[in-house]
Amino acid sequence: MKESVVSVRGFRKCYGATVAVRELSFDVKRGEIFALLGPNGSGKTSTLESLEGLRHPDGGELSVAGIDPSRQARKLARLIGVQLQTSALPPAMTVDEAMRFFASYHRVAVRKDLVEKLGLGEKRSVQYAKLSVGQQRRLALAIAVCHEPRVLFLDEPTAGLDVQSRVDLHAMVRELRESGTTVILATHDMAEAEKLADRAGILLRGELAAIGTPRQLTASGARRTRISVSTENGRLLAEDVAISGAELHRRDEGYAVYFSENPGKSVAAILTWLEEAGDALVDLRVERPTLEERFLEITSAAAGAASKGGK
Amino acid sequence: MGAFLHHFSYDFKTGIRDRSRLLMFYLFPLVFFFLVGGLMGSLNPYFLPTMIPAMVLFAFMCAALLNLPNVFVTARESGVFRSYRINGVPAASILAIPVLGTLVHMAIVGIIVTVAGVRIYGGSAPAAVLGFVAGALLSYAAYAGIGALIGVAAGSGTASILIAQVLYIPSIILGGLMVPTSILPGALQRISLLLPATHGMRVMASLGGIGTATGVPWASIVVLAAGATLGFGLAAMLFRWDARASQPGGGRMALALLAAVPYAAAALIGMA
Repeated sequence: MKESVVSVRGFRKCYGATVAVRELSFDVKRGEIFALLGPNGSGKTSTLESLEGLRHPDGGELSVAGIDPSRQARKLARLIGVQLQTSALPPAMTVDEAMRFFASYHRVAVRKDLVEKLGLGEKRSVQYAKLSVGQQRRLALAIAVCHEPRVLFLDEPTAGLDVQSRVDLHAMVRELRESGTTVILATHDMAEAEKLADRAGILLRGELAAIGTPRQLTASGARRTRISVSTENGRLLAEDVAISGAELHRRDEGYAVYFSENPGKSVAAILTWLEEAGDALVDLRVERPTLEERFLEITSAAAGAASKGGK
Repeated sequence: MGAFLHHFSYDFKTGIRDRSRLLMFYLFPLVFFFLVGGLMGSLNPYFLPTMIPAMVLFAFMCAALLNLPNVFVTARESGVFRSYRINGVPAASILAIPVLGTLVHMAIVGIIVTVAGVRIYGGSAPAAVLGFVAGALLSYAAYAGIGALIGVAAGSGTASILIAQVLYIPSIILGGLMVPTSILPGALQRISLLLPATHGMRVMASLGGIGTATGVPWASIVVLAAGATLGFGLAAMLFRWDARASQPGGGRMALALLAAVPYAAAALIGMA
């Protein structure tokens, strides 16, 4: 059993009379990628920034690599790497200067390899203000990992990145995990969380609504698999077609899309029906529920409960 | 120490690379000096004897009042301080390095003004160079303390500019830079004691052996030293990493006003 590197116990954060996070508890183990998910205002950034030592908790206990973030900020800075959602560097600072500047404060050698790896090799003498948003975020990541932190915090790491940069960043995060770095990731991109995270927690109105591996989270939902079917003659698109065990979701761009709780049985029923109807299969897709669908399910259920409570 | 020196070296380079800093450190004070030196030298008989401390002080005011607050406000507002904090850059370095970096630029401007003032315009050279430098350092510290304090206490860039102007414009008119404070009406002489420029001119002229000033102006030295100490002390106390830090702006400004106590005391006492 791996040791817990990040521990959150009964964490509470308020802004005046507004409670942003209430009684939040979770652990993240060494070498784990943990995704913190939630809609805007759910408390993700408050939680991350309190773990990073940027905000003081109003209750509970936080521990990052054995350190209380609100009391030992300087010591913490040597053990964690942070790519903030909103941060900046001095506009006139070049990529090379930034790497040297922060390496000197972290007391490590300058990591030129990181600059190359993150695709900033040709931008070394370009000032921060003249970099694109994606390049600025890549530089922030290079700075965050230049001292090989034990815990890496990434807040919306791929916002503003193109497809190739996203793929490269994901590969780098996986490499860091392999080397034992713990990664805590806050993102709105559910596909990213599903691909990258070992575990994820969904925050709603400052409370943990669900936690588990992406597979566990999706399996705990309505468990409905999506089946999309396209045929040569389009017989399934007719109004009166019914397939036993499958619920028609929509007819769209030549596809009949069904939801089923027993996909094996439903696929067999569809194939039998097609054969009997004299039609032939062109494309069949069976997709398990995504984390995004589960996330939307949880957030809509919470919104529904809140509106009922309001009445 | 390595990180501090590295940070200092970067900040110094920025003083030349950044256009707004270049303007406030060099272009504006030096263009003003060359224009005013030619014009005022021939029109105003009081000007030439104190031209060098006056123009050095003018450069200090441009750098410390018009530029320094903006350095702190923009870095805080744009999230640069947040990046510094998460990477272990200490608050003391963040406050001290722009002040020290600006001082090096001011030393360069001071040398240009002194040499050109004497050679081109026939201004009075400091007879006691070390005394002049000591007076200039003390005056710079007083203005830099105020600039740093405005930078950390002001809620926005606009507020910092307005607050700085409240000090900057009267300093030029009443601080003895253009005409000696001794020829001002009595009430204005009292008001001029509220300004660091008045004390700076006295200290630089007296310690530097410029013009007719003699003796050590202890009262002005104490006022400037106390003003500098309070300015930097309060700036350290009120320093914020984050623009989002929830502290009432009114309370911060009231605390920041404590830095004016030595100058207010000088004006109330009406020290000679």
